[in-house]
Amino acid sequence: MGALKSVFRLLGAPFRPISSVMGRFLNTPFRQATAVLLFSYVLIEVGIPFIPPVFGMPSAPIPNTVVLEYLIIAIVGILLWVSDNEQRWSEFKQPIHDILVQPDRRVARGALFVIVPALVAAQTYFSAQPDISAPPSFRAIHPAPPSSITFQGEQMVLDGLENPLRSAGSLEEHYETGKQVYYQNCLACHGDGLQGRGHYAPAFNPAPLSFQDAGTIAMLTESFVFWRIAKGGPGLPNEGAPWNSAMPAWENFLTADEIWSVIIFLYEQTGHDPRTWEVEGEEH
Amino acid sequence: MSVLQSSSPNGLSKKLRFSPQRVVLRALLLGASLLVVPGDLIAQVDGQAVYDQWCAGCHGEDGAGAGPAANTMLPRPRDFTLALYQVRTTSSGELPTDADILKVINEGMPGTAMPGWEEVLTEAERLALVDYLKTFSRFFQGDPPTPLDFGRATSGGEDAIARGEEVYQSVECWRCHGQEGRGDGESAPTLNDDTGFPIFAADLTENWRFNGGGEVEEIYRVLRTGLDGTPMATFSDIVDAGVITNEDLWSLAHYVRSLSPEEEPSVEEVVTAQLLTDTPLPQTVEDVVWEEAERFYVPLSGQIVVQPRWFNPRVDAVWVQAVHDGQELALLVSWGDPSESPDTLWTDFGGQVVTTMGSDDEGAATGSGTADQLVVQFPQQLSEGQERPYFLQGDTRNPTYTWTWQSDIAGAFESIARGMGTAARQPDSEQHVRATAQHADGQWKVLFVRPLDTGSAEDLALTAGQAVPMAFQAWDGDNGESGSQGAVSTWYFLVLGQPTPVAVYVAPPVALALTLLFGLLVVRQAQVGSGMWREPDATARAKRAAKRKQLAGMGVGVIWLGMAFGSYQNSRAGWEAGHADLGFWWAIIGGLLAIAGLGALIGTWIHTRTSK
Repeated sequence: MGALKSVFRLLGAPFRPISSVMGRFLNTPFRQATAVLLFSYVLIEVGIPFIPPVFGMPSAPIPNTVVLEYLIIAIVGILLWVSDNEQRWSEFKQPIHDILVQPDRRVARGALFVIVPALVAAQTYFSAQPDISAPPSFRAIHPAPPSSITFQGEQMVLDGLENPLRSAGSLEEHYETGKQVYYQNCLACHGDGLQGRGHYAPAFNPAPLSFQDAGTIAMLTESFVFWRIAKGGPGLPNEGAPWNSAMPAWENFLTADEIWSVIIFLYEQTGHDPRTWEVEGEEH
Repeated sequence: MSVLQSSSPNGLSKKLRFSPQRVVLRALLLGASLLVVPGDLIAQVDGQAVYDQWCAGCHGEDGAGAGPAANTMLPRPRDFTLALYQVRTTSSGELPTDADILKVINEGMPGTAMPGWEEVLTEAERLALVDYLKTFSRFFQGDPPTPLDFGRATSGGEDAIARGEEVYQSVECWRCHGQEGRGDGESAPTLNDDTGFPIFAADLTENWRFNGGGEVEEIYRVLRTGLDGTPMATFSDIVDAGVITNEDLWSLAHYVRSLSPEEEPSVEEVVTAQLLTDTPLPQTVEDVVWEEAERFYVPLSGQIVVQPRWFNPRVDAVWVQAVHDGQELALLVSWGDPSESPDTLWTDFGGQVVTTMGSDDEGAATGSGTADQLVVQFPQQLSEGQERPYFLQGDTRNPTYTWTWQSDIAGAFESIARGMGTAARQPDSEQHVRATAQHADGQWKVLFVRPLDTGSAEDLALTAGQAVPMAFQAWDGDNGESGSQGAVSTWYFLVLGQPTPVAVYVAPPVALALTLLFGLLVVRQAQVGSGMWREPDATARAKRAAKRKQLAGMGVGVIWLGMAFGSYQNSRAGWEAGHADLGFWWAIIGGLLAIAGLGALIGTWIHTRTSK
């Protein structure tokens, strides 16, 4: 308690029980600005990761650069507010000026003289250490598809191409065929939950794609998916990092119908819809 | 209800008997899940529909464990018609409780293809599955089984682990699991599960792959209940018979747990080779350097990209350690492998594996008994950009440079490969890599040593501080692995450590001094501005000037001495890394700085003395 008291005194605040602290403590623009800044930091760092799960999406920690960017925006906002009128501005500056000048703030001043240079030195020390991280990788997850491919020796135009099985035969049968193909070939990496977590997945970097994710097959046309399955990792353009993808070129193992049926399986099993081509002339 | 409509865009869902229920349930659960899931809603879930959609692909629609994916897996998917369950809280030979079945559905079976389903299926769906699974066997029609009382775990610690090791010896766990626990015991090559498939004795050094879970309580549970359907027996009977005490069994669980790392190893993209400055480069796998050097975990998977594929790799991971001395790189690769292939004791087992995994792929293995093999792969040339050769031994445009070690050949050799299985051995005059290997207690350790720069344009030159792509491939000959049928990794990076740059010693004090100076200026400015500084008289001014000179002199002296120390460090590192010129120049600079620093200090001291 004594320590807490001296901390408060150091900050120039009389120590009071918590109940009255909020109201009494936040009584100058400087303290209010500090509180808003701290609150925004906590909100950005801890609060934002809670948002995606509300919409059923997986959460992830916020990258430091993004946190920094948001904080800069917050600081600019705070500065605009404190400098908005003359009196608030001078009230805001007062505690800063006091700590530099007032004889009764000598302890705080001394503490700043120790802490700030020490932090700067530590930061310099760590940034001067040699970097042993991997070189940055720039990989396009869904690179632009070619307009046509050669599939098992035959020309195939991808532009405007629909899944031919959707208008031929029984969809239920195609689903069952696709399921067989998936379980015999795709399962080991993409997993039975279709989340890219098969039992081989841990060995691969990049990790196998999750089809449950709203950012994969749900935003692609079936012809794009056909291209990716047929040509696999080796068929990726350079921006897709073809050297590291463990996705086989399935045209070496499967027929076109087998690939189209596994595509039907992927969409049905996940409940996603494929993106469709805009039909030409429809707008006119 | 809009959810319902948008989820069946193709009219297909309506035709499939399972989908409407699922969609209705999802929609309702979405609304209700924030409150409470009513019991009658759970009752509405059709367990069979969930099973057919998500489980039948491996376990088969009839529950016999023979779905379309079954023959790409070993161990095979569970056959529910036999009602033999590994993970139970009940006595050996008894049925599992509902909670036992739900636990496996929720968490999966580590080390096998069975994943956990908590994120894909709702709780109602998983509960409905438990009920449906039980309909595959009429054994479940009787009274529900009663779980055993396992009591509380004993406290661990060294004594418990030491006692556990004695129990490990006395109840002969080593017969299957081996002396060091790596699944290399004398009985290991003879093991089959109750359905006749070959089964490996668990590698007890990888608890994150234990079927029944890897923590002490879970290991104890498996010791009490056995893993029914596998050769892993129950030890409850010998406790009941008084051969060992219940506490002994807990100690055994603590001992088994202690064989694995405290935490499941994480995968690091960069393998760092520490620069050795005081010790010589290790020339054997047993060198003490390896006890200290950081271990990097590299998980492998079956090669299922090019024909013939392999779905049952024996080597699930390798551990990599690296050091260098500025002249040569030493790379130690260790991995679990129960046999020194070809080992005739394992020939039958490997044959069974190959038959079980029977592949239609062209050129697939028909038997076992080739050599064990390890390949360390690099690009033949480093690219300017991020481009690398294809991770499976490159392609025609972009070849890889590999080190191959084989258990039936002494040493290792360098090759250039342009695609899986196309490795061409370089001529003898161009061979620079040396290797020594040791197989002990179910583990291979292979040490590769190569000069950083071989002087050959064909070989990748290694430079300190540069990230070099590196990948691994491993084969267990006694598991029927050879050619493209083995275990592989994607690319990692090898980075050779370099001497600590002088900036590390110089920059922080400089930054500190500058910040301090800036702070002093700001404060002074503020205080002068608010009229707090009186104009000093002449004596005070002179006194202050003298003091300032003294401080400046000492400050400069200390900073120069600090820089001299940094130069000394660089010089030493330079000499030890074999760069005599660097070492020499840093020594000269360091010497001059030291003289200057001392001079400044002594000069200040003399000046202060005389001016008094």
